[in-house]
Amino acid sequence: MGRTLGGRALKLVRGFLTLREGSIIVVAIVTTAYFSANATNFATVSNFKTLLPYFAPLAILGAGEVFVMINGEIDLSIGAVYLLTPFVFYELNKAGVPLVAGVILSLLVAMAVGAINGFFVAVIGISSFVTTLGMLFTLDGLTLIVSHTAPVATPGTSALHVNTFAQVFGGGTYSELIWAVGIVVVLQGVLTFTRWGVYTVAVGGNRLGAAEAGIRVRFVLIRNFVLCAACAGLVGILEAVRAVTATPDPSGSNEILFQGIAAAVIGGTLLRGGSGTVVGALIGALFLGVLHDGLIIQGVSANYLNLYLGLAILIAMSVNVYVQRVRTGSGLG
Amino acid sequence: MSDTDQANEAVEKLDFFDRGSEDGPGFDRRAFLRRTALTGVAAGSVSTLLAACGSSASSSSGASSIFASNKSFKFTFVNHVTTNPFFVPTQYGAADACKLLGCSYQWAGSQSSNVGEMVNAVNSAVSAGVDGIAVSLVDETAFNSPVQAALSAKIPVVAYNADAKTNPRLAYIGQDLFVSGEKMGEHIASLVPSGDVALFIATPGSLNIQPRIEGALKTLKGKPGITTHVIATGAAVPAELSVVDSYITGHPNTKGMFAVDAGSTQSVAQTIQKHGLKGKVKGGGYDLLEITEQLLASGEIQFTIDQQPYLQGFLPILELYLYQASKTLSGIADVNTGLKFLTEETVKPYNATKSRYEGTATAAGVS
Repeated sequence: MGRTLGGRALKLVRGFLTLREGSIIVVAIVTTAYFSANATNFATVSNFKTLLPYFAPLAILGAGEVFVMINGEIDLSIGAVYLLTPFVFYELNKAGVPLVAGVILSLLVAMAVGAINGFFVAVIGISSFVTTLGMLFTLDGLTLIVSHTAPVATPGTSALHVNTFAQVFGGGTYSELIWAVGIVVVLQGVLTFTRWGVYTVAVGGNRLGAAEAGIRVRFVLIRNFVLCAACAGLVGILEAVRAVTATPDPSGSNEILFQGIAAAVIGGTLLRGGSGTVVGALIGALFLGVLHDGLIIQGVSANYLNLYLGLAILIAMSVNVYVQRVRTGSGLG
Repeated sequence: MSDTDQANEAVEKLDFFDRGSEDGPGFDRRAFLRRTALTGVAAGSVSTLLAACGSSASSSSGASSIFASNKSFKFTFVNHVTTNPFFVPTQYGAADACKLLGCSYQWAGSQSSNVGEMVNAVNSAVSAGVDGIAVSLVDETAFNSPVQAALSAKIPVVAYNADAKTNPRLAYIGQDLFVSGEKMGEHIASLVPSGDVALFIATPGSLNIQPRIEGALKTLKGKPGITTHVIATGAAVPAELSVVDSYITGHPNTKGMFAVDAGSTQSVAQTIQKHGLKGKVKGGGYDLLEITEQLLASGEIQFTIDQQPYLQGFLPILELYLYQASKTLSGIADVNTGLKFLTEETVKPYNATKSRYEGTATAAGVS
């Protein structure tokens, strides 16, 4: 009977939608389908390659940010860390440190920044918004001073030839995608299956309760800030290698900050903490990437781009909330 | 829910107030000044000075012996994007002129083209009683009364980099952005006689790049065979690269890609190289980022435009100093810092050197 068939399909859809990321996946698929149907050259292999750098960096940034946001905190310094690390890498390389060691040391610097953020939030007790805002300005300033505000060529890269180092760290076509997927899989595993993840959710859901249950809240917070900063530092290096240059322009990095947080939030992580998924951040980033790439492929004129981007996000998120309602069984509206 | 809204709002605000500066637009026109240009444009007085000084250490006493002026003057530069890489050579130019003449300067203004902040900086300089002000007039009228107030207080004011027609400033040192766009348009038309042409701009509406694209569009609208498309690329260079990449993927019929800011120009060159479109798709733009220089030298793009930002710092100090030292009798002159189209051949010396004229080195000289 048609009815049982329909019922079975509905059950299947509901089953899919019980995934926390279900609704944003639907939105991302619809967006992709729209551009495939309406923009010539969107559904092509070459555009798939073009699409990768739109979302892979945001996915990594979002993945780190998710851990901090589940704690009920926010890290606004990820853009500034993204800005700073390529210049740390450049200076280290100039001082004679080999390429890969330079990358590792730069990431350690990023992690130190995260530890300082975590210290101010967890130990001193300043709100994370203020702490990381302060860090944002501090690092932006530091980058401008270190670089003398001049762009530099990323060490180990060349505009004419992509060598093995560049292939691995962002220059290869699929390099950023592999990093992003790898990091998302590992971090989702950490969040779902390890004590680290359970503690993170517990601290975000009920900090006092978590403390009374014997969880070292301060340690959990600091650890997540370190993780978040490390992700941001890695994106800084990957993007500098891909672009072959690093530009010390704080306005560019603030755009990245905004999109990284947007990816996490669109992916279903709550700004008030207690809930979120890393895979969601990946899909959120994918949605933003498809939207931006799709509008460019359609040839949207410069002055209209932000308007369309804004309207599309509003419409998509309305659909997202509606689908979520179906998912949680609170009725069809 | 309200928590969510609040946090969102804050993040948005953050993004908003840094948006203006971004604009990758900015670091347009990084330039390089050859020694010949220096001695030529900066006039005989400089060469006399150089000869008289002998060494830079004794420069202040050298200058005072020529101009019979013992006061060490203080000047203020008010800039619209103080941290923008484009103005690095400008600051070196101002610093070098100060060293030569034994005076000092302050670099002030806004990071994000905030006109209110810039007007405050001009007013503060007047209150502080500085000996001269150089300001980039990025607004048609907002600076008229502050500049008038400075002139009334016997403080000379010159405009650099951007000018306003109705402003009472004494002189303008820089280049007309709109005219540079028109010239670029003519250059584009000679490279691409007909077909689709894409023009890339980092952030539409930014005062230091928008007039260029308008100039280019004005010229190209008059060419019946050419269809123009204007595309926004964004503030961060890696993201700009992605946008140019998508565009050429989506529009394979494009005959030419040109950009009006440094980051987009580099991205155009990188994209043409990546897709192996050298010669098939013509390219060009503004400024001298290292990658742009390299790819121009290897023929991936056909031109880039140099606007000598070093002179935009060096000459205002020189003019203001002479104005003060001559007790208003001399020093003031309009100077066009030029519109140099660099090609595969002429870019080579830029590519091979590092210097303060290009902002690529902190040490003196060309190495």
